[in-house]
Amino acid sequence: MRKQFKDTTLDLATKDDKVVVILGDISHFLFMQFQERFPDRVYNMGICENALISVSAGLSAGGFRPFVHTINPFLTERCVEQIKLDLCYNRFGANIVTTGASFDYAWDGATHHCFTDLAILRLLPGMEVTHPGNRRELDTLIRSQYANGNPTYYRLSDHGHELEIPVEFGKANILIDAGADVTVMTSGPILSNVAKACEGLPVNLVYFNTIKPIDVETIGRFRTTRILVVEDAFGLHDAVCSVPDLRVSRHGLPDRFCAFYGTVHDIRRKIGLDAEGIRAAVRERLANTP
Amino acid sequence: MARLTQAGRQIRKNILEASRASGHGHIPTSFSIIEMLCAVYETMRHDPKNPSCPDRDIFILSKGHAALGYYATLSHYGYLPAEELKTFGAFESRLGCHADRLKVPGVEVSTGSLGHGIAVAVGLALASKIAGRSQRIFTLVGDGESNEGSVWESVMVAVNLRLDNLTILFDANNSQIRSLQISNPADRFRAFGCDTVEVNGHDTGELKKALLSPNTNVRAVIGRTVKGHGCRTLSENIFEWHRKSPSAEELPLLLAELEAA
Repeated sequence: MRKQFKDTTLDLATKDDKVVVILGDISHFLFMQFQERFPDRVYNMGICENALISVSAGLSAGGFRPFVHTINPFLTERCVEQIKLDLCYNRFGANIVTTGASFDYAWDGATHHCFTDLAILRLLPGMEVTHPGNRRELDTLIRSQYANGNPTYYRLSDHGHELEIPVEFGKANILIDAGADVTVMTSGPILSNVAKACEGLPVNLVYFNTIKPIDVETIGRFRTTRILVVEDAFGLHDAVCSVPDLRVSRHGLPDRFCAFYGTVHDIRRKIGLDAEGIRAAVRERLANTP
Repeated sequence: MARLTQAGRQIRKNILEASRASGHGHIPTSFSIIEMLCAVYETMRHDPKNPSCPDRDIFILSKGHAALGYYATLSHYGYLPAEELKTFGAFESRLGCHADRLKVPGVEVSTGSLGHGIAVAVGLALASKIAGRSQRIFTLVGDGESNEGSVWESVMVAVNLRLDNLTILFDANNSQIRSLQISNPADRFRAFGCDTVEVNGHDTGELKKALLSPNTNVRAVIGRTVKGHGCRTLSENIFEWHRKSPSAEELPLLLAELEAA
């Protein structure tokens, strides 16, 4: 997805002279060609994430459409106050683009794991929170949202799903509508595991590329069913539960650090978020649904 | 110390009366920056009749808790009616104890959490450079505020980008003797690469000269100031008065001290 981020922003920059990219010493090699072509529109500003967010607010105040990018926990969890005040409260629009979703950097340990970004950012008034599942979704979501003057979050992953799904900001996709009593809801790249887990089971399947605003209307269509949210980061479950009078349960992260190394697939397997673990959770939900 | 200018005295008088009327304070920190604010507003391009005119220079109060001093100065330069200052901090007033850009004409960035305004100022200065505008950006930071790491992140970024359109005014009022004092601010800003001058922060003429002096990189103007400057009771009791507003008995005493200053 990172390459797509560069391709999309480079393409936008050729048409829109207000596009500026700020890097926190990540992806600078990827953006070299962009920087050569537009030397005053790409800045590898340094490892100072708090300042990067505020600087992007200033760029927005000065009439630009900034993209600010570095590793997920450092740009989101470290910078919550800058995002809250300098972007949301001041109403300065900026595009926050992170890399290293959930356990993508499994091998680096808990300092580089990030699983609260979606949940925290969705609490901030005025914030848009996307959870693109693959390159195509990212491209569409950026083009749709980057210039609207709102702060928008894009969570990039190195492990996108392979499904081809129509993409519209704020709009959920009903992938399976079997008229079933159980509806599985999920978002982002883990769809690949979720879709595999649901194969052959009597469930509906709904997919979200946007956590905020959450697609209340589509969720409401499954109001009479038992909803199981499957997530590899906090956020979607909270968003779904903001719709009143639902019966929702969650299959996701435990309340402890997943301080293992290896790969994202190893950690997913360990905590039951591989296809097999998810399938077991869906079966359990089915078994406990009257 | 030279006597207060007429403007300096009137702005402080308005602050005292607004604080008395509203019950909200932060008077000493406001009193330490009045001359710096006046120097900025008498140096930069701005139009109170059209606060968002496109070719204006921009000022950001990074030490946002000095909002009352900021409002009183904005009022002095024609942005707000002086009478409105008395609504300071009241429910549904435009004038909160920290300024909101969406409510107050002339306020460019809402501040209050320390260490934010200066970084937004860096972004504005960069935006002006990219756009090729001749606009200048001014920001005022406190010495206490400069305990925040984001202040120094911002300085590093700005110097690295050679943002010579950015001026950082530093209010060296020694308020942090109680905790983490920045004892040699000029040396620190020079070490970070700023074109740095140190002046009497209560001498508007000296300040204006510093703001207009040539610079090749980020300009830092260190204003040596006295917290509560203008009222001895305040400057000699800065901790007691940090966020206090005067009682009915205290107000005339403070006004008398101000008249004599």
